[in-house]
Amino acid sequence: MRMLWVAVVLMLCALGSLTIGVRALAPSVYLDALLTFDPSDPAHVTLVAVRLPRLLAGLIAGAALGVAGTVMQALTRNPLADPGILGVNAGAAFALLLGTSLIGRSDEAMVAVLSFPGAALASLAVFALGGGLRGDVGPVRLTLAGAALNALLLSLVSAVALVRQETLDVFRFWVAGSLTQATTRPLGAMAAVAALGGIIALVIAPRIEALSLGGALSRGLGTHPRRVQAGALLVVTLTTGAAVAVAGPIAFLGLMVPPLARLVSGHNLRAEMVVSAMAGAALLTFADTLGRLLMAPSEIRAGIMTALIGGPVFLWIARRIRPGSTT
Amino acid sequence: MSLAHPPKAPSRISRRGLLAGAGALLAAPAVMAQTSGLRFVHAYGETVLERPARRVVSLGYNTHDTVLAFGVAPVGTRYWYGDYAYGVWPWAQPYLGEAKPVMMTGEVSIETVASLAPDLILGTGSGISQAEYAMLSQIAPVLMQPEEFSTYGTPWQSETRTVGRALGMEDKAEALISGVETTFAAARDRHPDWAGRTAVAAWHDGGQTGAFMAEDTRARFLKELGFRAPDALAETAVIDGFYTTLSPEDLSPLDADLLVWISSAERAADLVALAMRRTLGAYAEGREVFADELIAGAMSFGSVLSLPYALERLEEPFALALDGDPATVVPSAAKVGLAP
Repeated sequence: MRMLWVAVVLMLCALGSLTIGVRALAPSVYLDALLTFDPSDPAHVTLVAVRLPRLLAGLIAGAALGVAGTVMQALTRNPLADPGILGVNAGAAFALLLGTSLIGRSDEAMVAVLSFPGAALASLAVFALGGGLRGDVGPVRLTLAGAALNALLLSLVSAVALVRQETLDVFRFWVAGSLTQATTRPLGAMAAVAALGGIIALVIAPRIEALSLGGALSRGLGTHPRRVQAGALLVVTLTTGAAVAVAGPIAFLGLMVPPLARLVSGHNLRAEMVVSAMAGAALLTFADTLGRLLMAPSEIRAGIMTALIGGPVFLWIARRIRPGSTT
Repeated sequence: MSLAHPPKAPSRISRRGLLAGAGALLAAPAVMAQTSGLRFVHAYGETVLERPARRVVSLGYNTHDTVLAFGVAPVGTRYWYGDYAYGVWPWAQPYLGEAKPVMMTGEVSIETVASLAPDLILGTGSGISQAEYAMLSQIAPVLMQPEEFSTYGTPWQSETRTVGRALGMEDKAEALISGVETTFAAARDRHPDWAGRTAVAAWHDGGQTGAFMAEDTRARFLKELGFRAPDALAETAVIDGFYTTLSPEDLSPLDADLLVWISSAERAADLVALAMRRTLGAYAEGREVFADELIAGAMSFGSVLSLPYALERLEEPFALALDGDPATVVPSAAKVGLAP
């Protein structure tokens, strides 16, 4: 069972995220920190207040983006569909940044609420621009529409961020996400939202597959294309919004995970979603751990690490696209 | 080909020769002016002022303070941060009078600078590039930081002297400097126990914690009060000559006798949520001081006007933090929830 191997890799990545870091932790710390937590012991604090929240944030955001990428690619039959490339990340980030700037509050509740309208509008906009409403979602058209939307939203993010006081730090976070702010993010609520998105995705997976047979054939099989599209966009909004609220915009993860997952799951969308969620969580956690080691004690943001890994994967996928092919 | 080349080559040489000649001609008046005008040597070369400046465009993020200290209102200022008209913070506002300088935000607009018809452009601590310097120099003489300092690392004494010379008020510059130095010396005399103790100006922002050090204005402020950096911090690598970042897993380099958080009310919540801070001795023993936006701003501007302003507001909290009694509460830290 190849899916089991993915689960093992995920567990290894999670374990690495808890055990590897700037501060070496004695084996006894792991149990002590959970049983008798001492807030004045740096080792305990490292485990419970630094590494554990980062791991949770990585698992939530990684799994959510894995699902988001899978759904986008299946819905649009476009292997280059990804919340980062198509501007959904940037939409959520822009709405969040604009909202917190205007309201002057950036607490957990505010972050949780503001992330979703941006993701929803951006995913709807890119789908409409790409011709999705007319059932004509060519890979090139969609990718171009997404790239344009992404560029527009990113420049809006810069425009808002650069007039703020903490300029560079704010800007960095909203251009390339990271897991370092996990402690101040609404992890519990976003885990629930991402899980809801995942469940909806699993439920509508067969209908998305039917839709990919083409509008007429899928209607013949009793599918309502509009409803399925709306459901899929809801999934993308929920998962991407949750991921951005937790970790900021993480690029390329939703792009590279689904094709890798298909190597394991084959062309079965439900299985692909499960594997993508696990692989996304593993990859983001791995990227974060690597990022905190490469230039210690300085850290490379997880969003930059995924872009570093994802860039070559993007080229690999782009090379494999042939006219008329869907994978 | 062989026919096409020869006629061109000599003309190119002669053109180059012409340019060199023109350069020499252009340079000649400058050489003469060195004897009559005010000559400044700096990181981007040499600038000569024919006469003391009166219309100053201040491009440094904090340099308008220094110009204002001489009773001269700059015609242009640069926005750093904070919600203050013209980018002029409270300690410098009384010096502004009725003047309404044009405030520039973000990148330096050469057009805006030109429209102000300045007779001096102050580029110290502005971060402008050599190319921008060259363009601005066509509008008016441009002053940069002395070569020995990093972009944002010019000490306030040097900056005050430079501006004083450029305005033709060298005596006033010395008077301003000795006034502030006397104020700091008096504070040191009142607190002889501060000498040699460790102090850190730290920040926490966007999940990243760091400390100001070396040539930074905030680090210099602490040094001028007799403090030194803790050894663990002094050993970490300095970034851009003025700060360092720390791993969230190890904030022990911040554990000084006095820990000053350079922050603001809206960022205080993140600081309170920073669990690793509570492993520091400075936290447990109440030796943390919270500098809100205004006081942190005064330390950050680090100018001849802002430093006495910061000192006046920080002397008492510093004394409370360092009184040797862990039970004493520093009001600024307690107010935002930092105190144990």
